[in-house]
Amino acid sequence: MYRMSSKQSEKVYSTSKRVVRQDRMMRQIIRIGGMGIIISVLGIFVFILSQVLPLFFKAEVQRVASFHQNPGALGAIGLDEWGEIPFMATANGRIAFFRSNAPSQAPEWVAPFETNNDWKFYRYLPDSQRLLYGNALGQARWIQLKFSPNFDQDQRKINFDWVMSPIFDLQKTATDPEAEEEAETGTGANPTLLDLALGGQEDGILLAALVQMGDQTQVHILPLLQEETMMGSGDLKPGNPEIISDPFPSKPRKLQVNESGNAILVALDSGEIQYFISKNHTWTKQQSFVPFQGLPNPSVASMDLLLGGASVYLTHSGGKNVVFSLLIPHGETERRWVQVKSFPDLPGAAEKFAKSLRNRAFLVTSGPHAALNYGTTEAIRWEEDFSGPLLGAALSKKYHRLALFEAPDALHLYDLIDPHPEGGWKAFFGKIWYEGAPGPEYTWQSSGGSDAFEPKLSLIPLIVGTLKGTLYAMLFAVPISLLAAVYTSQFLDPNLKKVIKPIMEIMASLPSVILGFLAALWLAPRIENAVPSLILVILVLPPTILAFGALWQKLPQTLKTKLKPGREWLLLLPMLCLFSWLAWEAGPILEKWVFTVPDPQTGGVIADFRLWWTAKTGSAFEQRNSLVVGLIMGFAVIPIVFTLAEDSLAAVPNSLRSAALALGASRWQTAFKVILPAATAGIFSAIIIGFGRAVGETMIVLMATGNTPILDFDIFSGMRTLSANLAVELPEAPFHSTLYRALFLGSLVLFLMTFGVNSIAEMMRQRIRKKFKAL
Amino acid sequence: MKKRTKQITPSGEPWVWLTALGLSVGILMVASILGLIMYRGLEVFWPERAPLWSIRSGDDTLGTELVLGPEVLKQNKSAAHGPDAGTEIQIFQGNRESLGQAFRFISSSDIKAKTLPPEVIWIERMEYGKALGIPIALRLKDGTEIPFGAQNFLPNLDIKVTEAHERWEQIEDLEKNKIGKINREIKSIERKLKNLQGNETQQDNIASLVEKKSGLETQYEALANKARELRTLQDNPTLIYRLANGEQRELAVGQVVEYYFPNQLGFFDRLGMFWRHIGSFIVEAPREANTEGGVFPAIFGTLVMTVLMSLAVVPFGVLGAIYLSEYAKSGLALRLVRIAVNNLAGVPSIVFGVFGLGFFVYMVGGSIDSLFFSDRLPTPTFGTGGIFWASLTLALLTVPVVIVSTEEALASVPRGAREGALALGASKWQSIRRVILPAAAPGVLTGAILAMARGAGEVAPLMLVGVVKLAPSLPLDTTFPFVHLDRKFMHLGFHIFDLAFQSPDSEAAIPMVFATTLLLIALILVLNLGAILLRERLRKKYATGNF
Repeated sequence: MYRMSSKQSEKVYSTSKRVVRQDRMMRQIIRIGGMGIIISVLGIFVFILSQVLPLFFKAEVQRVASFHQNPGALGAIGLDEWGEIPFMATANGRIAFFRSNAPSQAPEWVAPFETNNDWKFYRYLPDSQRLLYGNALGQARWIQLKFSPNFDQDQRKINFDWVMSPIFDLQKTATDPEAEEEAETGTGANPTLLDLALGGQEDGILLAALVQMGDQTQVHILPLLQEETMMGSGDLKPGNPEIISDPFPSKPRKLQVNESGNAILVALDSGEIQYFISKNHTWTKQQSFVPFQGLPNPSVASMDLLLGGASVYLTHSGGKNVVFSLLIPHGETERRWVQVKSFPDLPGAAEKFAKSLRNRAFLVTSGPHAALNYGTTEAIRWEEDFSGPLLGAALSKKYHRLALFEAPDALHLYDLIDPHPEGGWKAFFGKIWYEGAPGPEYTWQSSGGSDAFEPKLSLIPLIVGTLKGTLYAMLFAVPISLLAAVYTSQFLDPNLKKVIKPIMEIMASLPSVILGFLAALWLAPRIENAVPSLILVILVLPPTILAFGALWQKLPQTLKTKLKPGREWLLLLPMLCLFSWLAWEAGPILEKWVFTVPDPQTGGVIADFRLWWTAKTGSAFEQRNSLVVGLIMGFAVIPIVFTLAEDSLAAVPNSLRSAALALGASRWQTAFKVILPAATAGIFSAIIIGFGRAVGETMIVLMATGNTPILDFDIFSGMRTLSANLAVELPEAPFHSTLYRALFLGSLVLFLMTFGVNSIAEMMRQRIRKKFKAL
Repeated sequence: MKKRTKQITPSGEPWVWLTALGLSVGILMVASILGLIMYRGLEVFWPERAPLWSIRSGDDTLGTELVLGPEVLKQNKSAAHGPDAGTEIQIFQGNRESLGQAFRFISSSDIKAKTLPPEVIWIERMEYGKALGIPIALRLKDGTEIPFGAQNFLPNLDIKVTEAHERWEQIEDLEKNKIGKINREIKSIERKLKNLQGNETQQDNIASLVEKKSGLETQYEALANKARELRTLQDNPTLIYRLANGEQRELAVGQVVEYYFPNQLGFFDRLGMFWRHIGSFIVEAPREANTEGGVFPAIFGTLVMTVLMSLAVVPFGVLGAIYLSEYAKSGLALRLVRIAVNNLAGVPSIVFGVFGLGFFVYMVGGSIDSLFFSDRLPTPTFGTGGIFWASLTLALLTVPVVIVSTEEALASVPRGAREGALALGASKWQSIRRVILPAAAPGVLTGAILAMARGAGEVAPLMLVGVVKLAPSLPLDTTFPFVHLDRKFMHLGFHIFDLAFQSPDSEAAIPMVFATTLLLIALILVLNLGAILLRERLRKKYATGNF
């Protein structure tokens, strides 16, 4: 007998090495590939989140260098445009420049004033890089700083330079005899400059001062006009000095001139702020208000204008700090200052202030405490407590560096990394009181005409628009698709079902761009003139069909049996067409009867629904409105809800149905009282998934609405949805800008809305499956 | 209770009728939308008769004005226009350049007479759309005129138009292919020169490149001159015709795309012309800001993109599905992953577009540019939307469709087949490859077709990742490297959006929109019906597969 050796048998029955190797390899490939594809699909969420998160980061501030130099009495500190040359100006007119790349090097001191003839430092104006000085004779002058980059062998070096302005006399000019006379008849005492300010742009500058003569203090101004010569702009020519205020009742403390040089704010010891504006070259006191009324000692400790000059940041010695803005309140016609924002209390009054020239951010110090605030969102971007009191603060023009002077002798320079200062939860989801608006509001307006324009990026109007479009789509789609699903699953002839379902699925495959185009260019113009007809069709059809159904039962049995049960809908098709047509044609009659408005010209009445709607509700009637969107979006939603609801109704175990029918229930009773309750969860999940589809629909709403971001639910107005907003704005948004990230946030909201809603639906479906398994 | 038993008719029957209403409305909606698109889409290609309307003109009740052109629309006057309600008809009068508007509304009550003069000519022009009028003569280059009535008018016109068409083809060949090729060569030499700049050791190389470049430039000049010469030839002869209002116009025959006498055509002539119109719509490139001509580049772009998308989505989708259903350990994690993949199919397409823009275009594309195409920067190559990124974006969008349908197909393979294969000693991979996958192939194919149908119809994400209204060149052509993944492309769906919303004369564009819509719907319905039929067959095949 032949016997296989054990070794041989092993060889015959064992799998060849090649197969094993191949199997192992494919296992690895499939595992890696499969997991890879799933991870990358889920990575979409992670990527979008990673693009969004920086919007919610606070500012990052990192120290670059510290310089040690005791200036004696410090006037101010400042930074050049590149943030590389911090400088300090002393109270007596000397300036020290430091270099950030050589922190240990001694500063370069300059002394622009030849002799120290009592020039006193008043303020540094970072936007024009002027250091402003005044003296006891009522004169003012400034030092204009100049920084320029110089490239030497690919190495950038910033050079600094300075120009001295002429001396301007705030009190008199030789050509003004009246002023001369006034000066002569004056008390003879030297005037005291309590505060000195400067405002205005290229074409003209306004110098303003609080001048104390004896015990009277008034605002003196001196307009300086830019002379136009053949060579370009020439010297500044002083105009007529003026006194624009009455003597103040209490001692003024602070003075501010706005950027255009046509408005002046004066803060008094009593806590009052007086607001002067110039209209057609005459100055008037426009408003006076007390910002800290009710607090003990209400006087204003600091007063500084934010970028644009239409907002002012005020602090109280107790640490309360608020922003007032110029706006036209509801029901009024004049612009005035109103408190719009408040920030968390500071330890005391704000001492140093530096505003950003890029956005609404500002740096403020109080004692050893420094904070970087953002005006629009009332957010603190960064704050820190130092050991010594802070005597100077500066922000670079590009909003990328900041400097602080810590007593007694340290000048710190920091990198400021804050790409999205306007971000934060509140900016996208909260009500914000934008500059100039009459109240806090939710607004989406990403671009505007002027430089002072501030992007308004609230997602709320978009979310409301999304929900609005969805709501009207669901109002139309849900009844139809559920009725159709009940009929198809419970009553329809099973032979026809095979045809019906694919037909409805075809509707689901219609590209939404086609639906959108039909909505906008075909349906919208037709609906516009025929709203009464549409109302009539919707009102008339269901009762008519119900009545027809009741009548049908009264027909003799012989006639009834001609129509097989489950084919009622075939009979309904022609009836539907007939009744819709009748109702459609009757629409104008209804319009003449109900929807009329008086004609102001002839005294008669005009039958026009559009005019009637506007007259009755006060809201606009637009051609591309929510009604059109709802109707057409129905085409996208109906097949989804229908298919899923039909599936869940058909999945109800047949035993339930048989039992009900056996107990003598009619087919309607079985469907309505037995099957429907059993399938509720499934139907609900079908509706939810339809909702998800409507939420994300882009092309229909993009084409069939006006894409105006508004906050209402009117049926005859348009909307802007999150999805359409992405399609409109994202192609134009600069890479990694705040708008770009805000749009990603919009898409994240969209993602979460649909994903969340679908997950709920999916979980419900799985639970029903379990339930039915038990039956 | 007694009363109930007496009731003959079962209760609730009317409500059954109400539910039937739901289905009827649904069916009617599908039928009417498909009917509308079919009718309006095909109508575009049907040569209309062009009646001559004499209407009462303006205030003068005796004056008569003549308008020539087919009726487009009849509608009730809106009540808002005043008390004189009635019907008005919209007439397509063409001749946009001299009449100002191609469409005109006239009140039905103003119409005095409507005739069908046989001599009316309908001219499709290269510019300004269509012209309608009555021909007068053909003016030849030497100034001689052949009057319309003459025997040799029509044969001559026919010959001249054919000649002009041939010349256009030559011009296009010269300008697009030959000059384009030289242009590309010059550009590549320029890039090389830029790279070599300042390199002392390569002086010889530089000199030869410069020489080559100047040679190419002279070739370029010669070809451009030739094209210019051909173009001037297109100005003669000219066709003189008269508009309905008596104005006389002269049109170079080189401007004529097609002409016919609509009121002389018999039914079969019109049918033939109808098919010819459909043909040229499919194979021609668009003219006149897309409102005239064909949609070939859009069809081509859609197809190339869909194919690229399928190449990306099918292998990976199937791989993912095989992993999920055959290899992954079942448990809570797997269930969650499955739900997540399912739900991803419900995430709005625009979100995928946003992802595609941020990730593919800016991140990946930007990196590719800075690594491989830095000589072309700041002009982006891959760092801007293009057909490759669009295909990948749509592949991500449709991957859940493929995964879900493949998983379904894998699950529907009978357990017996699987166990049989393993029992016969096949390894896991062998049983998957030789038994399970072939059995599931129709299901996989269904998923792939459904994915293609979905991808072909999506527009929103494409708007972010590289679709354009007019692409200068196709993404696939005869110049190296043949497949240009970085090129922007045209797409039928976006073509519809662009025509309907961004064309200067949206009313004139509506017929084209309907025709394009019909084409897109036909494409998608064919794909979908194929998938549905395949699915039905698959279900039948494995319905009794448990053995």
